Amino acid sequence: MKMRTMTSMLLAAGAIGTAQAATEADVDKSFGPYKSGVPTVAGVKPGTVIDKSNVEAAKGALIPSMAQFIKSGQTTLAVGETYSFGISKNYIDATRKNLNKVSLGANVGDLVGFVAGRPFPQEPDAKDPRAGEKVFWNFQHNNRIGDSYTIWPWYMEYKNMASGKVERTLKQEYHIIQWKHRVDQEPRPEVEPNPSQLLRSGYLKVHEPQDLKDTQLLISRFSDDAKLDEVYLYLGFQRRVRRLASNQVTDPFLGSDLMVEDFEGYNGRMRDMKWEYKGTRDLLVPFYAHNKQKLAEEPKEADFKFIDFGGEGACFPNVTWQLRKTYVIESVPVNPDHVISKRVHYVDAETYALSLNEIYDRKGELWKTFIIAYTDSESHMPKNAGRGVAINDGFSIIDVQAKHCSTGKFKVHLDQEMSPTKLFSVQFMRGS
Amino acid sequence: MRKSAKKDSRNAPLAAGMLTLAVGVAHTGGAAAGDIPNEEARVDVVYENATFARRDVGLSKFRNTLKIDIDRQLGRRGAFDDVGVNLKLRGTFDGVYRLNEDTYGNKAGGAVQLENTVGIPGSSVPHGGGLGSPTNPLTAGLAGLPGGGAFGFNSTDPSAPRYNPNEGLAVLGEHLHRTDGGVAFAVPVRPCDKDSRGCIKDYLDASRQELESPEFNDRWDFIREAYVTGSVPFDDGSSLFMKVGKQQVVWGRTDLFRVLDVINPVDYSRNNIYDELQDIRIPMWIMQAEYRAGATETFDDLNFAVVWNFDKFRPHNIGQCGSPNVILDAGCFMRGMKNLWDNGGTVANFANLGLPGLAATDFGPNQIGIRKAHLPSWSLSNTQLGVKLEGQKSGVGFSLNALTYRSQLPSLRGGIPARNPFDPVGAVDTQPQPHPYPYLIAFDVHFPRVNLIGGSMDLQVDSIKSVFRLEAALTEGEEFPNGLRKRLFSESRVFRYVIGWDRPTFIPFLNKTRAFLISAQLFGQHLLDHELEQRPLGKVGMPDWKDNNIFTLLFKGFYMNDRVSPQVIMAHDVKANATAIAPSIDWLFSDRLKLTVGANVKVGHGARKFDDCRTCNPFHPFSASPGQGPNDGSLGLGGFEPLGRFRAGPIGMAQQEDELQFVLQYKF
Repeated sequence: MKMRTMTSMLLAAGAIGTAQAATEADVDKSFGPYKSGVPTVAGVKPGTVIDKSNVEAAKGALIPSMAQFIKSGQTTLAVGETYSFGISKNYIDATRKNLNKVSLGANVGDLVGFVAGRPFPQEPDAKDPRAGEKVFWNFQHNNRIGDSYTIWPWYMEYKNMASGKVERTLKQEYHIIQWKHRVDQEPRPEVEPNPSQLLRSGYLKVHEPQDLKDTQLLISRFSDDAKLDEVYLYLGFQRRVRRLASNQVTDPFLGSDLMVEDFEGYNGRMRDMKWEYKGTRDLLVPFYAHNKQKLAEEPKEADFKFIDFGGEGACFPNVTWQLRKTYVIESVPVNPDHVISKRVHYVDAETYALSLNEIYDRKGELWKTFIIAYTDSESHMPKNAGRGVAINDGFSIIDVQAKHCSTGKFKVHLDQEMSPTKLFSVQFMRGS
Repeated sequence: MRKSAKKDSRNAPLAAGMLTLAVGVAHTGGAAAGDIPNEEARVDVVYENATFARRDVGLSKFRNTLKIDIDRQLGRRGAFDDVGVNLKLRGTFDGVYRLNEDTYGNKAGGAVQLENTVGIPGSSVPHGGGLGSPTNPLTAGLAGLPGGGAFGFNSTDPSAPRYNPNEGLAVLGEHLHRTDGGVAFAVPVRPCDKDSRGCIKDYLDASRQELESPEFNDRWDFIREAYVTGSVPFDDGSSLFMKVGKQQVVWGRTDLFRVLDVINPVDYSRNNIYDELQDIRIPMWIMQAEYRAGATETFDDLNFAVVWNFDKFRPHNIGQCGSPNVILDAGCFMRGMKNLWDNGGTVANFANLGLPGLAATDFGPNQIGIRKAHLPSWSLSNTQLGVKLEGQKSGVGFSLNALTYRSQLPSLRGGIPARNPFDPVGAVDTQPQPHPYPYLIAFDVHFPRVNLIGGSMDLQVDSIKSVFRLEAALTEGEEFPNGLRKRLFSESRVFRYVIGWDRPTFIPFLNKTRAFLISAQLFGQHLLDHELEQRPLGKVGMPDWKDNNIFTLLFKGFYMNDRVSPQVIMAHDVKANATAIAPSIDWLFSDRLKLTVGANVKVGHGARKFDDCRTCNPFHPFSASPGQGPNDGSLGLGGFEPLGRFRAGPIGMAQQEDELQFVLQYKF
């Protein structure tokens, strides 16, 4: 009897996610937040350039650190038109098909019954203590990679913000594959066999500079959030694969201002953070149409131009920012010895991409602002058109304390052939 | 002295073909790992200068290296879905042989004195002045031997055969220890084109030019690597990966130690054990075929590899005597022994004349020493074959390995035909000379076949934020010096293991934002067939420790976006009680220019003593101690040379090789 009572309580606790059943209307709203109109904020109109002279008026549409950058004259911000990025029909269909089949488990990181699509399409509820977690599950399972993608080349520059000096330039390739919950590419829904129930893997190889040449990184995340990520590093100068301890993902990645845990805004387990939904805001975020931007002339690439960077130290992406519906989520590490005290993520409500992230040091002071620039796939390379994926087009992570930044320029290919499954194995690193 | 370029010409067409294939379209570009064919080749050209200064020696390295790496990804070719061509060229010129000519070049060495504890004619005698020399008053006492004995050698007459003058020499081990009543002999130290004494044909016989520029030899080592890769995909997602050409094959998961990583020999002459293995492995012509099953129902990843090293055998380069890096000082021991065999020589403190102390003794040619090296010729049966099963299961990476190969370290096998200096006329020794004598320190060098089985694994232990790496291997066929055996060697099975522990650790007062890497390793070696006995004057048997451990510790930090990286590497040999400490700091001035300033300091115990076989009694009854029978073997009288080196280990034997090191690297 006692056991039955306890089970009932656990089920009740676990039923938080299904307590407010999502409806078709929730799905429509989740994937079409601008169907009934785009957000407006006084003083922020397409074509406006926000600089230190008018930043006060636009402050309501800016995250704190961007407002500060503009106020101190470190950058300006050009406002673009807000429009829907459009999400893959297959992903939306999967969301509808699996509506209300998913729920949160008793513990953070437990997701029960997830098949594919957006797990929690309903609006976050401020009264729901696990609303932040749900929003982040939507990020974890968003369609940002279209089941697999390749960044080649990826140029990463380390810059002294004050002097503008480029200290290092890396040329890399990066591949991601989604092993489970696939909706866009065959095999669907899962690549089999998958004995460890891997969720997603990323493979990175450094081509330049010479001292890092052939360095390779393989990160695998499991479907079971309780399992630690497996991270392997191949060092070209040692010709040996080294397994990395889990806490090594909070070290600067190859000396940049980015840590592996920062990839895509957050690259870690759900249970390693405490998630808190802090509200919904209409904010200026770096979402734009790639082919309508003033693009960089260097480095040269056949049939493609990268986004450019400007502002102090060339640390800010030279793209237009649009006003978009954004969920504000705060994540606090469970581990008190973590290198940061918290992150504030600004989650795009349509795509669930994390385009803006503010990272605080252990003392609680702002340490870094991580800006990830997104274009819609229609406005990118012709071969990516029609995929309904918000394409990560580049980034800048600015260490406001050290006055230093690392910027990335991406050429993204939503091309399954470029990311074959064989890449995502330790053996491939050894043999290459 | 130079070897004929014709000898290994069978490799040349393949190498030249690959060179053409890779260079023919060389541009600066990139080649990606995925299915991203790129018609351009990537070319990296790097210059490196390594300048080292050694305590009490001065300049010990002024090495200038040019490295050219060319990679090209060709994409699909026939049945292969991702063909790649890789070519790595390396050329070195080490100016130390000219800039410090008195120590390492054509003017190195000089005249030497060998200890003579008998005190007659003095506490030391010159090379060529020992018992048996006409200048030594004790020689008169040899008249009673059959035929007057055959001690003595030609150290004075350049026109006579086997001229072995007292010039261009050093006393074996003198940089590390006093003779201290033990044995010692003179060792030629000049390059082999200047002084061919003691040079072992095709093994340790480098001219100055070959020491200065070791890649430009008849094995075409300037083509450091040249290989083609490709995969044949199968419908079930598995593939067959092939890698053929001159290459390095790296097995195992540990740093510094070679438990499984034994396929390629190593060039210890470049910088002892301290350079990255990538830079000192000697690439071989190898074919690798690896069936990559990928994920299976049971394993997350599973692969089966066959490695066939079809190249002509090459041993480790242990360093030629007279060059700056001679690991264990073994190259000097071997050069001195080879000189003793070919030309004779004076051995310190050898003969017991019934007087207090021992007399330095002049042996004649073909009596003691090293006769020759038997380097395996190329034949199918002399090639080397390995198999490896490697995979992942439940978060654990593992491999099972097996390899049959040739020992890359020399084994000195006694029992070769030699001459009896006490009885050159066969008055007592009735067998026609030369013939083998038990326990005689006269050897040929062999490289025996060794069979290895082993395995490795790595796993993460999150509770202590650590990764553990394990590696173990059991070999059979390795040979060790053994004074208990008549041929002075025996086989032993050897179990080796490494436990590695890596932990990134925050030390906020040193760096608030970046963890330090702490990596510790415990290397263990256990000789399963170890033999050691207490004899009247000391221990006799295998000088290698039956069980020994070496600890290593790496402590590495990162600053200024990893552009400045200080580190300390320490290694401690437990039984030898010798420690090496190597602090250094890397400064990446730009993507092109890197500077490294470091030191390599040794502390602890240096040379060690062991039975030296002076009391082995090979020429019974002439060499017998009172009461010693013809096959009793050594009584255990010992000294630092020659076998103490196996107890001191590579760290103990390098105690006097403290260095300051500057390395500049520039990428064009």
